[in-house]
Amino acid sequence: MKMILACLALATAFSTPAAAQPSFTGPVPTPPADTRADTLRRAYLARVNEVIDTTLAAVAPGQPLSREQLLAKLVRHQDAAQVSQRVLELLREPQSGDMFWMFPWTAIAYLGRDQLSPAARAAIREAWRTYFPLRGDTENHWAMYYSSLYLMAELYPDEPGETWFNGKSSAENLAEARGYLIHWLDLSTTIGQGEFNPTHYIGEYAIPMLYLAAWAKDPAMRQRGQMKLDWLMADLAASTLHGVLLGPNARTDDTSVIEHWNGLVSYFSWTMFGNTPPPANYGGWGVYFALAAENYQLPEVIRRIAVDRAGDYVQRDLKRSRQRWRYSDVAMAPICKTSYRRRDYAVGSYQGGLADPIQTHVWDVTWAVPDPRGVHNTMFSVHPLSSDQVMQTYFTELPDAMIDGLASAGKPSYDVPDKLLGCSPFEQVFQDLDTVIALYDIPAGTRFPHINGFFSRDLVNVTEDPSGWIFARGGNTYLAYRPLAGYEWQQRLGYRHLPSTGGGYKWERVDQGDKLLYSPHRQNGTIVQAASASEFKSFADFQAAINALPLTFQLSPTPAVKMTTLRGRRVAFTYGQAPVVDGAPLDYTRWKLFEGPHLNAEKGSRQLTITHDRLTRVLDFNTLTITDQVNE
Amino acid sequence: MPAKTLLLALLLAGTAQAAAPAYDFFICANINRNYVIGSKITTLNGVYQRTDAGEWRHIGYNDTGITAVAFDPRNHNVSYTTAMNGLWRTLDGGQHWRMCNSWDMTEGRDVAVDPNAPDHVYVALTDGVAVSTDRGQTLVRRENGLPARGKYTQAIKVDRTRAGRVLAACEIGIYLTEDGAQNWRQVLPTKETVNDVQQSPHDPKLWLAITQSAGAWISRDGGVTWSNLPGVPADRALYNVTFDVTNPQRFAIGSWAKGVLTSEDGGKTWQTRNAGLPEGHCVWRVGVDPAGRLYASVVKETLYVSDDFGRTWKKDALEGSLVNSFLILPRAAK
Repeated sequence: MKMILACLALATAFSTPAAAQPSFTGPVPTPPADTRADTLRRAYLARVNEVIDTTLAAVAPGQPLSREQLLAKLVRHQDAAQVSQRVLELLREPQSGDMFWMFPWTAIAYLGRDQLSPAARAAIREAWRTYFPLRGDTENHWAMYYSSLYLMAELYPDEPGETWFNGKSSAENLAEARGYLIHWLDLSTTIGQGEFNPTHYIGEYAIPMLYLAAWAKDPAMRQRGQMKLDWLMADLAASTLHGVLLGPNARTDDTSVIEHWNGLVSYFSWTMFGNTPPPANYGGWGVYFALAAENYQLPEVIRRIAVDRAGDYVQRDLKRSRQRWRYSDVAMAPICKTSYRRRDYAVGSYQGGLADPIQTHVWDVTWAVPDPRGVHNTMFSVHPLSSDQVMQTYFTELPDAMIDGLASAGKPSYDVPDKLLGCSPFEQVFQDLDTVIALYDIPAGTRFPHINGFFSRDLVNVTEDPSGWIFARGGNTYLAYRPLAGYEWQQRLGYRHLPSTGGGYKWERVDQGDKLLYSPHRQNGTIVQAASASEFKSFADFQAAINALPLTFQLSPTPAVKMTTLRGRRVAFTYGQAPVVDGAPLDYTRWKLFEGPHLNAEKGSRQLTITHDRLTRVLDFNTLTITDQVNE
Repeated sequence: MPAKTLLLALLLAGTAQAAAPAYDFFICANINRNYVIGSKITTLNGVYQRTDAGEWRHIGYNDTGITAVAFDPRNHNVSYTTAMNGLWRTLDGGQHWRMCNSWDMTEGRDVAVDPNAPDHVYVALTDGVAVSTDRGQTLVRRENGLPARGKYTQAIKVDRTRAGRVLAACEIGIYLTEDGAQNWRQVLPTKETVNDVQQSPHDPKLWLAITQSAGAWISRDGGVTWSNLPGVPADRALYNVTFDVTNPQRFAIGSWAKGVLTSEDGGKTWQTRNAGLPEGHCVWRVGVDPAGRLYASVVKETLYVSDDFGRTWKKDALEGSLVNSFLILPRAAK
């Protein structure tokens, strides 16, 4: 959510039109037909340079440079004296921003190390003594904090504790930062990525990893940075449909959860794969990646996974919940993710339960659209959990105040009954190919004892069938949604951010044309079945096929579904029990770190194999080696 | 009692009263409204000391999340704070600070210095307890006897009567160590977090504890056995408890939902003291200063003060503040 602040700041910075039309207002890009390395590299650097150009074009004569603008000038080696002066001005003010302060000033320190005046460089160094940044309470905070601290400790080696904000010497800081970064890499390459597939927070990981890859003096840390960036981009490539990130997501927000394209992550799809437009103002943070992006070379195998999909595929990944401090038997819960990708649509889910306390998105069907901007191309249901105890599970707060303060902290929907964001301990999900069954067993006394189904304004032919199925079409995708309990329709209001002068965030609810399927039953369920329109002669044929599927269900005493899917699989799913497919129970304990045609890794391996057709890259964190193979 | 003896006793009592220890009074406060990690800090946050003139003087560094402060009883220039980054220490009255922990400890919840072994510092962590025996230079975990899960520790207090005797308020109860945290044992089981535990300044055997969902508890044997205080509601979370150094019979409890609860008869009866506080209460912490004035930190409001132990309230300073802890302790020579 800090991202929103950055976006707003950069919106001001970009208020003057750039010389050329920025890609976020241009047509949807098409991946180049010429896939020679030099062509792809030129295209990548052109996108990177566009961000720098746009940032510089927004410099207004006589106006002070923003931090992003002075960084862009450092990238281009422009106006060193002006930039130095501005650095001094900025550092004369009281500093704030914590780890969001640390990484930009790390970038300024590195880009400016041979350009800034001695006084400006000394002011930067002094700021690292006098300003006390918080380390934060999330993995993305720590990635930014420790990557920055690592790089600054390398930049200023052999200095005593008195010269650093935390009283530790350069050597101590370097050792601590290195220790954490390796620990975090170990976690994510053995038991799964925390804050997985985020719509915005990918920047908080990709940018620090890029900086390590670009500026770390220690070649081992440089290698780790590059390899982890490869890892993140490979995961992104396999988790997108035409550049648009799909669910599930550990962290998203009230906008991106229904408009999946609308997040910083699309900046990375655009920069890396060139197959979707970037978000407005490059997601606010694009410039922080662009300023060092020339130091990264996207492996061709990863780009192809994103842009060249030969056929349908299933990918299963193991991820990790956020750290749980209390009220849980485990410190981090395994998240078993299932994804099914097709040309026209994708279905993704994890098994339900708690991943992140506020911003998780558990499952959805997302259909492809020619231009994703402004399109709500997704369908799902949620239990709108609001719980003091769940908040306390993940945060060190006392009850009451936390929920009360979330709206002003940028999470306006947390305690709102029509919310679409979030996970619940009372939701269990099973996915087989393009069938999703979500079951709910909500205890009495739970705040918001109902479920919400999202029905986009961009659906057409929404039809409530006497059978109980609701049919609809989204793009070239036919959708069938079966609520297992009674429901009513509500107008679903979206969130529009308002300017705030008093600190915190302000929002208003606006009608965006979407509908909410409100089902006020604690024992409940949703079945969604998707198919390509091209698989049927007509929409009516699709409806007939769905209606012909053998289906039985119960809600009491325990929600349960038995059905044969459109793909002919006999599935049985009872709340609290392992799902059964064609008589075989699904065993989540056997989930691999990655398993699919493109990404494969054993749990605990620290080794990812990335494959596309004849290309293979193996990232091995045990030996810090990258191995590329091309089959004849 | 013969008259002369009575007179002598009265004189001695008067002398004792005159020689009552002077106290310092501190708070750890976040004065940034609507602060989110990464947003702009516009005010001075952290540790404040109440001056003799009745003003709040900021000491130390600017941090929105300082949860507790503890001082070396030999020298108040040596102090420790717990904050989001973990444990911080200064040896020179706040001129220089050192973050004592590495990446494997975070979000310190409380800190206590052993008055009988002042080099020993105990830290309550989100995932257990850490101990330093060298004034915070190094920290080690000492959790033998704490549960693998359920050791979230919200508060930690050292028994001032004996070195190495410490009570920890954890997720699933109160734990006691009598050997400097080498071994812990559970002395009060709870289903949810114990939010505070405090030792009486008058009777070291008397301890109070308050909880998330099990009301308030009292121990009269140094924290070994506990009994529930029936006059205190248990249906909503209680946030902290405090004694009054001027009156051994007076206790106060702060609670978001219940506001301020006080007892003036040693915990036998309890009264709600919210008249004059904002509607909805939203009390974050209560504290009592060396003169017996009762304070209540009200979320998003300000600090309120009462000269009559909660019967009436008036606004104090620190508009928009959130006080995470009050600390009263005997004034040190340095």
